[in-house]
Amino acid sequence: MKKGKIIKVSGPLVMAESMEHANIQDLCYVGDMRLVGEIIEMRKDVASIQVYEETSGIGTGEPVETTGEALSVELGPGIVSQMFDGIQRPLDTFKNKTDSNFLVRGVNISPLDREQIWQFEATKSVGDHVVPGDIVGTVQESKVIEHRIMVPKGIEGTITKIASGEYTLEDVVYAVETEDGVKEQKMIQRWPVRQGRPFKQKLNPNVPMLTGQRVIDTFFPITKGGVAAVPGPFGAGKTVVQHQIAKFSDVDLVVYVGCGERGNEMTDVLNEFPELVDPNTGESLMERTILIANTSNMPVAAREASIYTGITIAEYFRDMGYNVAIMADSTSRWAEALREMSGRLEEMPGDEGYPAYLGSRIAEYYERAGRIKTIGSEERQGSITAIGAVSPPGGDTSEPVTQNTLRVVKVFWALDSSLAQKRHFPSLNWLTSYSLYLDDVGKYMNDTMEVDWSNMVQHSMNILQKESELQEIVQLVGLESLSEKDRMTMVIAQLLREDYLQQNAFDDVDTFTSRRKQFLMLDLILTFETEAREAMRLGAYYNEILDGTEELRDKIARTKAISEDNVEQINDIKQEVKDKMHQIVAEGGMTQNA
Amino acid sequence: MSHKIAVVGDKDSVLPFKILGFDVFASSTPENARETIDSLANDRYGVIYLTEAMAKEIPDTIKRYDAEVHPAIILIPNHKGSLNIGMDRVQDNVEKAVGQNIL
Repeated sequence: MKKGKIIKVSGPLVMAESMEHANIQDLCYVGDMRLVGEIIEMRKDVASIQVYEETSGIGTGEPVETTGEALSVELGPGIVSQMFDGIQRPLDTFKNKTDSNFLVRGVNISPLDREQIWQFEATKSVGDHVVPGDIVGTVQESKVIEHRIMVPKGIEGTITKIASGEYTLEDVVYAVETEDGVKEQKMIQRWPVRQGRPFKQKLNPNVPMLTGQRVIDTFFPITKGGVAAVPGPFGAGKTVVQHQIAKFSDVDLVVYVGCGERGNEMTDVLNEFPELVDPNTGESLMERTILIANTSNMPVAAREASIYTGITIAEYFRDMGYNVAIMADSTSRWAEALREMSGRLEEMPGDEGYPAYLGSRIAEYYERAGRIKTIGSEERQGSITAIGAVSPPGGDTSEPVTQNTLRVVKVFWALDSSLAQKRHFPSLNWLTSYSLYLDDVGKYMNDTMEVDWSNMVQHSMNILQKESELQEIVQLVGLESLSEKDRMTMVIAQLLREDYLQQNAFDDVDTFTSRRKQFLMLDLILTFETEAREAMRLGAYYNEILDGTEELRDKIARTKAISEDNVEQINDIKQEVKDKMHQIVAEGGMTQNA
Repeated sequence: MSHKIAVVGDKDSVLPFKILGFDVFASSTPENARETIDSLANDRYGVIYLTEAMAKEIPDTIKRYDAEVHPAIILIPNHKGSLNIGMDRVQDNVEKAVGQNIL
């Protein structure tokens, strides 16, 4: 094969001449060490290559060899529960092979284990006509994920050979008679990461994704197939929010891309997830998790690729008919990687030095999420929910990455450092966050739970907004100046904030709240409000209500700690609230109900 | 907007105010007084004269209307003489407003 020659090395960017036979986005082996790189720019015969490994020690004159193939991921059984780096090298195998805790350069490892034997169950038989996207058989990959083997792109025809049995990834599992002859197929297929996998039709994402986080599910819900951004300054709890969603969301599979953040955050995932039990399946969370790690000390170019690797894997499982969630923590690091490459390419910088195409790249990524109808003759539905953390420097969300992200996402969870300092976690600011799925989710919840959920949510939000208005007055002239009605609003808002919005991610019970419990808790607080207002109307004083319900409010605060099995206990407290309020009215001047 | 004036207290003390044309409400128990004041407050009464003896029994109610514009609750002595609560309140309010006891 013809080889090019390196003429310039600048960090992860290598330029090589006499590369006229290569094409853009081709994967290359760079230098004598055969580092993996990708062509990102071509000028005449000079190719600019971003190298996915550390380039120190590479010199000019060394050869560059193109593979003629785009950067692709391998898709097949063995992918679940793995931890990959940005270009899909399994880090476990990597460590065993190189006997090093750090990335050793020039190592070529196949992404999926070629030796492992999988039990393949054929679902199609000889003579069946198949089109791309059809499922020919299944492999029970982990306890909860059934890996559905799909006919890859470009293969259409009649099956001439297929049998259940034990196979490795190297074995031919089935053969298809196509127009261009018989094609033998393995369980594995490849897909270029920068290209979205095809689907038949995009559907409106209107089914909520339960995350078990009260503030998210109630006030700023996300749907299966939705897109969300979590911007927040340093220390506000982005990573915890992402981890919580990865742990408890009711999806079938989670792809977690740790992109340019600290290594110990991935360690947390590796330590915690295997021990945690998925509330939906009862199995370990690792059984449904795929990790892509490109921590801050790993090569910067691979960071750029890690996001695409993640979403391509997510798309593959979506095509099987699964609901997949992909978390990217953090897209700011990814954008910074883009900026670094762009700077080295000497492109004209845009806002804050980010490349001018930052917006389109971000949009490209988020647009690959969504709820879809898959290709193939059986119509399956699958979804990808994309949740990206953004780390705006100094918490200033007017910077380009946040702004470009906000243009494409429909849910905005604004984390607030001042709330975090007050130890209000999750520190989602309820005044600045928003979700454009609120109406859809409200309708869905009204129908499925048969309660007036959307009005309850709207009413609670009004109270919280009213509180912030009143808070301004209180700061100027003191709480005493408020009318009793307004002071009651402040009390209810406090209940909502402290007993509903705040949630302890590190408490065994409080870490996850089911839909039913969320309804009961919110209902309890709102009942307290209605009853208190009614008592006031009947002549009870604000102070009397407050003094009389001290113990009761304590109980409301402790509803968080009621386990999911005993949620109906909340109804007892609700009855207690009613009784207590009647008693207060009776004890006050008014002896009879008006 | 015009406001009405009411007098609340034990019957013996408040009846004479009827001559002046005030609305008079006699109440014998604190519960009854509280109820009366609450309903008067909702009924466009701008000034409520309350006997000191009764006021002593319902401090919560007095405190509640301290923060409101209407009604102004003014304490008056009853037929047995003054308990000085009313005058103290005036002095307190003056002190609050001026910052110094100028009376």
